[in-house]
Amino acid sequence: MLHLRHRIIWRARLGTFVAALGATVCGTALLLASPVSRSKASPAQVTFNRDIAPIMFRSCSTCHRPGEAAPFSLLTYTDAKRHARQIAEVTRGRIMPPWLPEPQELKFADEMRLSPAEIDLIQKWVGQGAVEGNPADLPPQPKFVQGWELGEPDMILKAEKPLILPPQGTDTYWNFIFRFPINETQWVKAIEIRPGDKQYVHHANLLVDREETSRRREAQPGAGFGGMEIRIESQVFDPDSHLLFWKPGTAPYPEPEGMALRLDKGTDLVLNTHLQPSGKTEVIQPSIGIYFTPHPATRFPMLLQLENDVKLDIPAGDKDFVVTDTFKLPLDVQLLAIYPHAHYLGKDIQAFATFPDGTGKTLIHIPQWNLNWQAVYRYAEPVTLPRNTVVTMRYVYDNSEDNPLNPNRPPIRVRGGNRSADEMCHLWLQVLPIHFDPEQGDPRRVLQEALARHNIENNPADFEAHYNLAAMLQAKGSVDGAIEEYLSALRLRPDDAVANNALAAALLSQGKPDRAEPYLVAALKARPDYFDAHYNLGNALAAQNDFAGAAEQFRLALQSQSNDANCEANLGSALAEMGRLSEAKTHFERALQIDPHHALAQENLQELQREMKEQ
Amino acid sequence: MNEFRKMVRLAAMVAFLSISTTGVAQSGYDLDGRNIDPLASSSGKVVVLVFVRRDCPVSSRYAPRIQQISDEHRHDANFWLVDPDKGDSADAVRKYLADYGYHLPALRDPNQALVKLAHVEITPEVAVFDQHRRLVYDGRIDNWYVDLTRSRPAATTHELEDAIRAALDGRPVARREVRGVGCYISDIE
Repeated sequence: MLHLRHRIIWRARLGTFVAALGATVCGTALLLASPVSRSKASPAQVTFNRDIAPIMFRSCSTCHRPGEAAPFSLLTYTDAKRHARQIAEVTRGRIMPPWLPEPQELKFADEMRLSPAEIDLIQKWVGQGAVEGNPADLPPQPKFVQGWELGEPDMILKAEKPLILPPQGTDTYWNFIFRFPINETQWVKAIEIRPGDKQYVHHANLLVDREETSRRREAQPGAGFGGMEIRIESQVFDPDSHLLFWKPGTAPYPEPEGMALRLDKGTDLVLNTHLQPSGKTEVIQPSIGIYFTPHPATRFPMLLQLENDVKLDIPAGDKDFVVTDTFKLPLDVQLLAIYPHAHYLGKDIQAFATFPDGTGKTLIHIPQWNLNWQAVYRYAEPVTLPRNTVVTMRYVYDNSEDNPLNPNRPPIRVRGGNRSADEMCHLWLQVLPIHFDPEQGDPRRVLQEALARHNIENNPADFEAHYNLAAMLQAKGSVDGAIEEYLSALRLRPDDAVANNALAAALLSQGKPDRAEPYLVAALKARPDYFDAHYNLGNALAAQNDFAGAAEQFRLALQSQSNDANCEANLGSALAEMGRLSEAKTHFERALQIDPHHALAQENLQELQREMKEQ
Repeated sequence: MNEFRKMVRLAAMVAFLSISTTGVAQSGYDLDGRNIDPLASSSGKVVVLVFVRRDCPVSSRYAPRIQQISDEHRHDANFWLVDPDKGDSADAVRKYLADYGYHLPALRDPNQALVKLAHVEITPEVAVFDQHRRLVYDGRIDNWYVDLTRSRPAATTHELEDAIRAALDGRPVARREVRGVGCYISDIE
């Protein structure tokens, strides 16, 4: 009568995102005039009011206004005049507005690039003495929304503790955890990120942590934690699919129709920030505004993370170290957004698509990478990438003394890693599977499996790739293949609790409790309060008729997680097998308290009551 | 020259309450409105003028570094912070000093007389005068900034400190002028 259950644990490798700096200006240039000649502006004369104000209002004022990221305002002629030469210089050098990608056929949304004609106009205006011009020519100042840009949010969460940013020192990478205080699942249309004082936050990435894994890194609850790159684990296949990114000048992005983000009870949102000291002590306390929607998601994009960090082994002094990677898409997708990432040695960054017919298109090209201005780039229109399209990334690194941003002087050999002095070679693609057969199941699993196989090919020692491939194989019923991959993962990390437990669960599902047992013991050695491993070990022992041992394991499981109906029901079953009927009854009843519709507990309780009557 | 400067100083002492907008060559105003010639007030030490704009984030990020260098040279160099923005009140400058933890004396330079004397163009830039009041260096503090959006993890050249040491040793400075990265002073003329 004992009903065995097991849990399958899937741990995804979700985003390891990074932050960038950027506390500089995001503006255009104006020039300065000596005496303002309002009336004498001839057609050849460039004036602020007629020629420059429209450029400035469109391309500079979004950031250059009070409360925004830029260090001074550019809203009036006087503002512009106070920075005229600087504006001329930064526009000429394309430092401002900050926009790294080269022009290309596939357009991005909200491109901040000035045209050569606009830059030329600015230079002329400055050269002619930065004349104000006819007041009648001045267009109205743009209207900016004060406060939350999408209106009052449905929920505002503020970081529990601020970060005190010291006046001096290197860039700081800090993570704030927002605990989502709601008891039922909600769908989110948009999240506006307010990173605290925008002048000192270069960029911020908001990551969804569904299993509170980041909390383990806080010294005290709410304290936040340091680190440039963070990894979030997940036990179910629920791939992160949204790029929640803030940089100066970014407007909050309402998700497209049908692509709402799910937040459940217990979900944490982790804001990964990159901050730069300002010269004085700053108090940084971000908040986020959440906008709900009643409409659950109907379309499920996925973040494909291409990376080839294993190839990053850059000799000291190498000016042109090239890393490439190619990935063939296993199904048709629409590419919605792209997010390249490297650290301080990154120089020239490119990604391109080669279509099945042999033609190709550049997806992004950044000829002078600048971590400080890294960004998520959304395409103006989704880009269709048919099945068998090959996505290639090609990153060039400069580890010589000529790279002023080189963190090591003299240069040293640099390898891939999570610290800011290590390098990275990552490219995230937000893709939406299209034209797939729903009968084939979740198309994201197909993508995930292909990606895991690809990563193993790149790096046979990639633990996560083996683990994720195993989980995908198990999910589609290829348990033998899954077991093989779990074993490969465990050869790389024999003490990994999650992998040991997952392998045991696969063996249990094949009816091999004796083979599962040692892996569960290993999992519990690594993590003694691991609920799933106690639970699975209880099942393994029960399957071998060791009901006393099983009961013991179910009790230990309940010590770390008391509200589990399955575990209560199984404990009741084990006790019943041992003839301890009244104790068993208590646990079946507890299971039904937790879940009144628990079928196993109902069935077993009825049978138990029959048996108790007979006695 | 020395005679002239003494006279200027005397005049300023007599007339400090009636500050004219024309100002006096080589002098600025302290935060109580007194006309001050930083070179004349420097009793035999090297003199360093540090030019900052309150609205220039590069100037501001340098504050701890400027304070440190001036502390290290407190026995042999007199540092003055100079604000060339005529729109800045003395109270605005006081608040800026407090916010950024400065304990250097500050001068307002609304007529940019000290800017001209020092040959500087950008904030932050410095001018170093030797004990004979000769300008021996003007330009950047060091090479921390590459351009307005990129700064090195740490500076690898240290022009200000090199110039102070050269001035103290009576040696010529290797490069007399190295322009800085930051905000143009001429934009606020």
